[in-house]
Amino acid sequence: MDLLIQIIFGLLAALIIGAAMMVVTVRNVIHAALWLIASFFAVAALYLTLEAEFIAIVQVLVYVGAISILILFAIMLTRSSEGERLLTTHWWAAALISLGLFGAVLLPTLVGHTWNIPLPPGAPGTPETLSGVEEIGRGFVNEFVIHFEVAGILLTVALIGAIVIAFEERSRRRRVLTLAEEHILQQRQQATAARVSAVADAAD
Amino acid sequence: MQDVVNQVINTSFGWGWPSWAIALIGYLIVAALLFGIAPFQMLFLTLYERRAIARMQDRIGPNRVGPEGAFQPLADGVKIFTKEDIVPAAADQWVHFIAPCVVVAPTMFMFAVLPWGPGMVPVDMNLGLLFFFAISSVSAVGLMMAGWASSNKFALVGAMRAVAQMVSYEIPAVLSLLAIVLVTGSLSIVELINYQGGLFISTRDVASVPDWGLGWFIFSPVGFLAFIAFFIAALAEGERTPFDIPEADSEIIAGYMTEYSGMKFGLFYLAQYVLNFLLCAITSIIFFGGWQGPGVGWLYAQAITHANPQGGWVFNVLAGVLGVFYFLLKTYGFFFVMVWIRGAYARLRIDQLMDFGWKFLIPLTLVNIFSAAIWVGLTKWGAAEGLAFVEGWSPLMRWAVAFAVTLIVNLGAYLFLARIFAQSQDERTRQDDEVLEQLTNVA
Repeated sequence: MDLLIQIIFGLLAALIIGAAMMVVTVRNVIHAALWLIASFFAVAALYLTLEAEFIAIVQVLVYVGAISILILFAIMLTRSSEGERLLTTHWWAAALISLGLFGAVLLPTLVGHTWNIPLPPGAPGTPETLSGVEEIGRGFVNEFVIHFEVAGILLTVALIGAIVIAFEERSRRRRVLTLAEEHILQQRQQATAARVSAVADAAD
Repeated sequence: MQDVVNQVINTSFGWGWPSWAIALIGYLIVAALLFGIAPFQMLFLTLYERRAIARMQDRIGPNRVGPEGAFQPLADGVKIFTKEDIVPAAADQWVHFIAPCVVVAPTMFMFAVLPWGPGMVPVDMNLGLLFFFAISSVSAVGLMMAGWASSNKFALVGAMRAVAQMVSYEIPAVLSLLAIVLVTGSLSIVELINYQGGLFISTRDVASVPDWGLGWFIFSPVGFLAFIAFFIAALAEGERTPFDIPEADSEIIAGYMTEYSGMKFGLFYLAQYVLNFLLCAITSIIFFGGWQGPGVGWLYAQAITHANPQGGWVFNVLAGVLGVFYFLLKTYGFFFVMVWIRGAYARLRIDQLMDFGWKFLIPLTLVNIFSAAIWVGLTKWGAAEGLAFVEGWSPLMRWAVAFAVTLIVNLGAYLFLARIFAQSQDERTRQDDEVLEQLTNVA
């Protein structure tokens, strides 16, 4: 089982890193967004290998299902620059600085740290539920009730704000007539024309 | 399945394979089976829909290929395979190519948590219901990809419509399920079905009720309102007729599918019908007990299970067959209702769709969550939760009071909201008329 999990983990990690690399190197913005979605999805699969089912599913529901759509909509509605050169002429300087930082700060920490991760308690083969939906729910209404309520109020305010922005006086809105309305309009114009001519006839 | 594989490989042949290999083989067999079943559902449903809609329109429908047109879907399949695959020159080649796969894959994922009969579920996840709806929202990404990559205005408009519709109708669907989840206290689909034993009243609410497998949620006011809201939302999510705005062929050709031909178009078609099957299946599971029906519970109690290793294998087969029969009967029944609605209603306009979803369905489902909480309090809680006054009542009495209270709440909410919604729609048409008058300046 361990070998299988290792192989799956390796594939997923490669996918996540590869997709994330593509996000920042690809020229087309939409392609970058699609690679980002692939990366989100692989992260969800990674959570599944950790047996954190709830987090994995919420990752799919929120990131892949909602936020990615938001990103795509935003790009499609505001897109202006495409196909520009993404690498500057001084890309090697940036690469050097980031490599130096990595070597100076991260590498010693990574090497020097003793990775003493405790094994999960309980008999092997019976994993304890890691952040199950019940524990999270209880946490939300007991310990973290203030945070939960504040987040709820924040979202409500955002919703109301969106409505205020989107709301427009009906009469001020530019409106295209539908075919049926054009037909009604035509009928009415004909009717008034007929009435005017009838009045004119009566006057004669 | 894994028990069977383990029995065959390690006990009968004595090869002594490790448990992960057994698990892998077991899941692969189930996955292969389901992968074969899904396209057959699509083939059957296309024929079913065409025949049914033909009857409603006073026609006969396809009846030339095979007996009563039984092989018509196969002929269509052959035709679609041999068609030329055209990719527009301006299209984004790769995204155009991947989009149908991204639309089909989530529908196949959704089979993973779908129980077909007693003990017949590929993966009994604790969060099955959430998984089902989370994964179904992934196909919106595929639709967006298809619409954008085609570099066609109609395709993009169709994709935008499809995504807007899916995103806004996911909310009433999930909210109506939340009421059911409150009542069962579990997100597992298997647990949801087990809850629905009984006769009109669930055995979990009143233990003395005989278990005929008929204690469905549809028989409670909470479940009934949730069912109506959920089925309407499912119609929108499956792009069925009153909500087929994304592919309205009289307005935008075929929506996001406009630039697809050959088997890529076939894949969109497959995804749509498999999704419709799954939506009907999940409706029958959540509100109509899935495989629950008279006799299944009794048969399964005699079968070989972990709880009862001494059972007879004949009962396994019988319970499975009867359970799958009930399940498919209900599922195809709901698909018939979908076809029926297609035959009966005209398409909604996009603003009507949004109004109906946001101003009517969502408030209604929110009220339904409130009455679900009342239901739980009256049927399950006691002095420990602060409801001491229900302690003295008998279970039947508690159920009856809960039924009456939630019925009054739900009915009142429905009537109130329906009146308000009708008024707002009237006001809207009046304002539309006013704008028209102003624009035309004709009395």
